[in-house]
Amino acid sequence: MARLDIVQLTKQFGGVTAVDAAQFTVNDNEFMCILGPSGCGKSTLLRMVAGFEAPTSGDIRIDGETIAALPANKRPTAMVFQKYTLWPHMTVYDNIAFGLGLRRLSRSVIEQKVKEALELVSLSGYEARYPAQLSGGQQQRVALARAIVLEPKILLLDEPFSSLDAILRVRLREELKRIQRRLKITAIFVTHDQEEALSLADRIAVMSGGRIEQLDAPSTIYSTPSTLFVADFIGTMNLLQATAAGGELRVGDYRLPAPAGLKEGQVTVAIRPEDVVLGGEGTGWRGTVDQVMDLGHYRKIIAQIPGVGDVKIYLSKMPDVSEGAPITLNPQRWLVYQPDAALPLEYRRAGAVEAAV
Amino acid sequence: MTTAQPTLASDFWSRTRHSFLATVKRDGFGWLALVVLAMVILGPLYSVVLWAFAERWQYPSLVPTQFGLSFWEKTFSRADIAEALPFSIVLSLTVTALSALICLPASYAFARMRFRGRQVLLLSFLATNAFPRFGLYVSIAVIFFRLNLIGTVPGVILIQLVNTLLLMIWIPTSAFQGVDRSLEEAALDVGASPLRVFIQITLPMVMPALSAALLLTFVNTFYEAQGALLVGLPRVVTMPVLMYSLINSQLVVQYGAIISFVLWMPSLLLLLVAQRLLRGGYLTAGFGV
Ligand SMILES: Nc1ncnc2c1ncn2[C@@H]1O[C@H](COP(=O)(O)OP(=O)(O)OP(=O)(O)O)[C@@H](O)[C@H]1O
Ligand SMILES: [Mg+2]
Repeated sequence: MARLDIVQLTKQFGGVTAVDAAQFTVNDNEFMCILGPSGCGKSTLLRMVAGFEAPTSGDIRIDGETIAALPANKRPTAMVFQKYTLWPHMTVYDNIAFGLGLRRLSRSVIEQKVKEALELVSLSGYEARYPAQLSGGQQQRVALARAIVLEPKILLLDEPFSSLDAILRVRLREELKRIQRRLKITAIFVTHDQEEALSLADRIAVMSGGRIEQLDAPSTIYSTPSTLFVADFIGTMNLLQATAAGGELRVGDYRLPAPAGLKEGQVTVAIRPEDVVLGGEGTGWRGTVDQVMDLGHYRKIIAQIPGVGDVKIYLSKMPDVSEGAPITLNPQRWLVYQPDAALPLEYRRAGAVEAAV
Repeated sequence: MTTAQPTLASDFWSRTRHSFLATVKRDGFGWLALVVLAMVILGPLYSVVLWAFAERWQYPSLVPTQFGLSFWEKTFSRADIAEALPFSIVLSLTVTALSALICLPASYAFARMRFRGRQVLLLSFLATNAFPRFGLYVSIAVIFFRLNLIGTVPGVILIQLVNTLLLMIWIPTSAFQGVDRSLEEAALDVGASPLRVFIQITLPMVMPALSAALLLTFVNTFYEAQGALLVGLPRVVTMPVLMYSLINSQLVVQYGAIISFVLWMPSLLLLLVAQRLLRGGYLTAGFGV
């Protein structure tokens, strides 16, 4: 029930810049995911919001008021950790009641709140258990209950389900989403699992090397990644080297229409596997089928196109294609990333082209 | 008949050996440990207990030739023993308390803070145990002599404190290090002040290790004789020191046995207390023991 502003937030550990001038806003009731590879600074960013790390510079504001100077125990945030952090010498009840007790609530109020919190995470009746008597998934649900029972303004979650198995992870993820919707709580969820981020988030902040590369709705991130890093990191993407010249892209021996306003020179063409169809005899890319993987509801095919390289495509229904057979590909939609003068190692999307079918 | 007997006997032995080997195979280490423990602990214990209740014990007999309590009366009617026993208990408690006061905050600092020279300082506590103890004591005694601490209670307390440092620093330090930081952070996160986090989260989790350290320190101090002998005599006499002189001056085995028996009491009592503490519900349940 609050808005969070991250303002030019930077954290350096010695010479390492863990978070580099992060700037974004999490709106009231919004579920924001921070997604990025290991070591990109996700936890550091979250820990600065929680108050466990002091920012090197920048500001953190909740509803417009700075909290950067407050110690962790005075901040209206609550965190669920990646590790199991239930206190082993306390029962489930005491774990959840601990924070409430500090707020000098009456015993009956505390009992009521603990009961509700346990109901919310479907663990009614577990009050008297010790953490060692719970499974990993149950422990993380208690940790979630311990955090939300305090009605924090911002709920922070640092890969809370990453040590659980895949099925449980999906279930808890759905449960978390339901709870967040019901309580209308502002939440930041850190993960390196893109499926988790794509399915949970209202918006995703993709981080790399301490910087936020893109902050958008999941569908936007997927359809138009704004940097080459995001294009490569999210989903499956064919990244092909190409040259831009005369309003055309030269990919090996083949040509594709270039987006408007593209400067000439080396570029990277990014094509989603599902944006490639078979056929197109005249302009199609001819090659051979290298691998066919039947994934149940669709097939993943890796085609070898001489001069272009390997191209992955997804096809739901198709005439039987066997490995080694000739194949002709026809890209329908692609993104072009051009070296950016300001950021020499980075390519930026110069525009998307939808091919006329 | 004559041929059957060896067969039966060998049968018996082969079966015994078989089942013994099976047991050893199944739980080999446990049995080995039990046998070794029994020999190391129960052997001397057995002889001391028997001696403590023996009136007479002549050579070829496996048990005392006459049991009785007359030596107990003689032992405790001695003024030196009646004085040394309570003194020793109070002294050990004092040394343990002082040691805790000095070492526990230090070990918390060692575990939680990163300061220059931390490693070296931590290792320096090993130094007190890395060299022949008596050499260290002699050089300390020389200093104490100049400071007029020889034969005084503070002198004995000081030298016994030196003895406790290693244990009281190293065990609690590793215990504090064993407490995951994020458990403390989680407590801060729900609003607990750092002091409350320490008292309600950190301390209960290191309690088993701390009680073990306190217990061992108390017992070690109670039995410590070298330092007390060197610094305490002639005026300060602890139980173990007294035992030395009794054994050396009067060859009455029963005195030594009875005093040993009595000296075991504190450690047995404390072990029972420790077991109670460890079994007292929350710790064991909490750690899934
Ligand atoms: N206390 C610290 N001291 C020094 N460097 C640190 C510290 N904490 C983090 N770092 C560094 O900061 C960078 C970001 O770390 P961070 O833990 O935020 O990554 P992360 O994105 O959470 O990674 P993961 O997905 O593995 O948890 C890393 O290079 C890490 O080595
Ligand atoms: Mg992390």
